[in-house]
Amino acid sequence: MNSTLSSEELMSRIAKGDDDAFEILVNRHQASILNLIYRFIGDRTQAKDLAQEVFLRVWQATKSYKPKAKFTTWIYQITTNLCLNELKSARRRKWVPFYHSDGDSENAIEKTFPDGSPTAEDLLLARERSCQISEALRSLPANQRMALVLKKYDDLSYREIAKILNCSIPAVESLIVRAKRTLQKKLTIDKK
Amino acid sequence: MKCRIVQKKLSAYQDRELELQEQEQVTSHLLSCRTCHERHAALEQVWQTLAELEEIHPDPWFYRQLVIKIKEPCEQGLLPNFQRVFRLMPSPVIASILLVIGILAGTYLGSILTRHDLLPSQNDPLINSQGTFFSSLKAFDPVPPGTLAHGYLQMANYEERESR
Repeated sequence: MNSTLSSEELMSRIAKGDDDAFEILVNRHQASILNLIYRFIGDRTQAKDLAQEVFLRVWQATKSYKPKAKFTTWIYQITTNLCLNELKSARRRKWVPFYHSDGDSENAIEKTFPDGSPTAEDLLLARERSCQISEALRSLPANQRMALVLKKYDDLSYREIAKILNCSIPAVESLIVRAKRTLQKKLTIDKK
Repeated sequence: MKCRIVQKKLSAYQDRELELQEQEQVTSHLLSCRTCHERHAALEQVWQTLAELEEIHPDPWFYRQLVIKIKEPCEQGLLPNFQRVFRLMPSPVIASILLVIGILAGTYLGSILTRHDLLPSQNDPLINSQGTFFSSLKAFDPVPPGTLAHGYLQMANYEERESR
């Protein structure tokens, strides 16, 4: 199977019953989707479950999929809707875990060190810092958080973010400005 | 460009969302204005701090788990839909609904039976046997007929009547 095919082409192949195309599509986008959810929700286990749910929806929509926009915009739309719904139901359940540490978090941090030999103190500091950032992100309202995450970590343009969040470009700009202002206060206080 | 305008545009400038001309104007202003330069530097610092957020990696069995999930709904069938409906309704509501349905069904069935003369008539042996049926209920009396106690009471009543 030619893995250089575009995601849109892979989708049309999946619709025709090509399972290998689906595997390529999942492997191509799983990391970005997983991290987008993790940065938004802040919980590793929940992020993994939701990422599976995103691809499940992609699979269910293969027959009805029409490439009106970029595939990434479409999949980010699905992800955003799922994340916002999850946040709403979590509020209803009054269960808002923020930082969930599990077995592979150590490995994840290890990979952020270029020389590959972090000391125990480095690991601890990095984890603490990561936790502070996550907390600061979580303190933002849902729309501001999603807009900022899409800009900062996925490097999307305001136009693409507007399409994903279903709002205008000036609205996206305003969401990001407010988010940055809040983070500036939070993270500067935390550093002090 | 005035400081107030530049500071308004700093976020979009950082995100490279300004028109090329505006971008250049802000750049030249930042080189000449210390206050705006400091604000921009602070914003950049926050942006760089955000990069320190750890990245997570998908499990190697992510795709396999997904395939299992895809196959799941076909096996579950219609049951989850019913469960979803019942989960939405609180139990007192369900109980009241069932009661109303029961009453309505009973009334409807009764009206059908009377309309089609399906109910037993007075000549029916079933109705005639009602007398025996009610007498058999006397078995639940405190002193059932035919028992020793009943005989004793009858004798006592007889003696009382005789003495009068």
